[in-house]
Amino acid sequence: MDDIAGLQRQLESAGYIADSALAATLLLTLDLGRPLLVEGDAGVGKTEIAKAFATVRSARLIRLQCYEGLDVHAAMYEWNYQRQLLAIKLLEQDDRPLAAKEQDIFSETYLLKRPLLEAISCEESPVLLIDEVDRADEAFEAYLLELLSDFQISIPELGTIKAITRPLVIITSNGTRELSDALRRRCLYQFIEHPDFAKELAIVKIKAPQAADQLARQVVAFVQQVRRMELQKKPGIAETLDWTAALLRMGITVIDDDGAERIIDTLSALIKTREDRTGFTPDVVARIAATC
Amino acid sequence: MLTGAAAQRRDIGSDLLTRIAGFSGFLHANGYGVSASDSVDIVDTASQTGILNQAILRWNLKSLLCERYEEWQRFDTLFDAYFLPPNKNVFMQSDAAARSQEVTAASDDDGALDSQTTAEHAVVDATDVAGHGASREENLSSTDFSDLNHADQARKVEALMRRLAQRLKHLQLRREVRSHRGRRLDLQSTIRQSVATGGTPLRFAWKTRRRVRPRLVLLLDVSRSMNAWSFFYLRLARALCKELKDVHCFIFHTRVTSVSEALRDPDPWRAQERLNVLAVGWGGGTRIGECLQDFNREQGARLVHSRTGVIIVSDGYDTGDTALLADALATLRRRARRIVWFNPLLNQPDFTPVARGMRTAMPYLDLLAPGADLAAIERVLPQLIESLA
Repeated sequence: MDDIAGLQRQLESAGYIADSALAATLLLTLDLGRPLLVEGDAGVGKTEIAKAFATVRSARLIRLQCYEGLDVHAAMYEWNYQRQLLAIKLLEQDDRPLAAKEQDIFSETYLLKRPLLEAISCEESPVLLIDEVDRADEAFEAYLLELLSDFQISIPELGTIKAITRPLVIITSNGTRELSDALRRRCLYQFIEHPDFAKELAIVKIKAPQAADQLARQVVAFVQQVRRMELQKKPGIAETLDWTAALLRMGITVIDDDGAERIIDTLSALIKTREDRTGFTPDVVARIAATC
Repeated sequence: MLTGAAAQRRDIGSDLLTRIAGFSGFLHANGYGVSASDSVDIVDTASQTGILNQAILRWNLKSLLCERYEEWQRFDTLFDAYFLPPNKNVFMQSDAAARSQEVTAASDDDGALDSQTTAEHAVVDATDVAGHGASREENLSSTDFSDLNHADQARKVEALMRRLAQRLKHLQLRREVRSHRGRRLDLQSTIRQSVATGGTPLRFAWKTRRRVRPRLVLLLDVSRSMNAWSFFYLRLARALCKELKDVHCFIFHTRVTSVSEALRDPDPWRAQERLNVLAVGWGGGTRIGECLQDFNREQGARLVHSRTGVIIVSDGYDTGDTALLADALATLRRRARRIVWFNPLLNQPDFTPVARGMRTAMPYLDLLAPGADLAAIERVLPQLIESLA
């Protein structure tokens, strides 16, 4: 229990408020050496976990942003073929044996390391963040599985590269595609909900210390109410912070029903679709503001 | 500090270890995808972090044994059921009747009866509940799902769904992937390959269009008016779930319930049990609009995206508000790629969409297809594929 509280404190000083369950899971990933799969709505701070954890462990953060069509060349390694071509032309005058030239061309000098290769060839164990893995296709997922089980990459021209240290792997997913069971089985799992009042207030205080205590409370209460409404896109923590900044910028120091008109001007930081926006008439805003 | 947990190895009595290892079996019985290696991990974890603290054990096992959101949600209840003293039974064994009694007890609670006496006295049948009027025409008599398993047309259904799945696999999106043949030259990899031949591009690399399957969301109406077809469609849904991974299935009547997990259950007997529990209200009235709205609110954001085909199966007889239906369909329309509506009544030659619900829905649909039997569905398969593309 002390470990967990300790890690929570460290994460907090790195700017991330984690509940005890998450801290316990992070400790477990260290113990078991398994990747951690994090799911949750957009904007609940999935990516931030990796960043904060890297800061706490003072490890390097290596990030692989997944997208449709991500392939081995963008994720693992690629040969720097322009330089290789140049080298071939230069080596034409060289009278060394052919095998030596070839070895020269396919040496590490001409290898471009992409995030995954980078992560397993670090001297000190880094934090590897594989962001939005559901955007990459299934073929890539299979490749990823192989890497996560053996922590080695084989490059046909160069041989197998084994991990010097095991990276700590954190995988995030938004659920645009169902992940394979194999990947899920290999990972520890954590689902992050939208934060409750106390947690969100703590986050606002850490990330936006310039907001006065009363305003911070009101902002959080307001956002919590908004989340309970039927919206297409519920505001995440990032939106709460943006909105706080917007309020401060407009010089609004207190949320009350009189200031509804001015609050509406700042709502573009919180509400992100037109359909949702039409629901926020001055009456509605005033009503929510009155309860804060 | 961080690796401290690993350092504190504690001895646990072998009884306790067995008990903890048995937890994975318990979860397995409740439909979790846990494997034998997980029990080993459980014991490892437990002996590393200690089991004296219930909270830590819970958090650790939760992240270790859960694989998806549905499992994550159910975990705490199961954990309590297993580790807290009195209740050791497998959760699913409670039969449908007992479950529906609990539901009535909860929904009809007028404060007059205390829950215990309600549970004892409630002999539930459909008319009785309709008399209470609290849940508008929910049918609480249990439905016999055994039909789902030994069905004569099962093989035909599976064959048809396999064909559908296969054709879906061939859907192409406007993404490109490298290949040996194709129409567009992939300049980057051609140059890369030319390294092997000293800079002369002897072999070309090409790009072709990539194949991506859409996600399917099935919404099956199982109200009374759909009685004749409900099982048939559930069978279709199960066959489809077997073929494709990204299929999500819901049944609705007066409420909407997810049945994907139950349909995917490899053990047919247990699938039946789970459906029994889920199907409270099967064969009652319909409130399509409210159900779709619930679906939008609870599942929409998570499930429906620009590559999702939503397939609704209903006859369109709606006892709810049609304005709600229009609203819900409009919302769904904006999120989803396509909406297809199967109406079993459409087969009849003199059919015109007169049902209120159907008339309201028409403007939002990409395809309205008949579907009273396999042959009818087979006939519209090409159109279905086309509209999902």
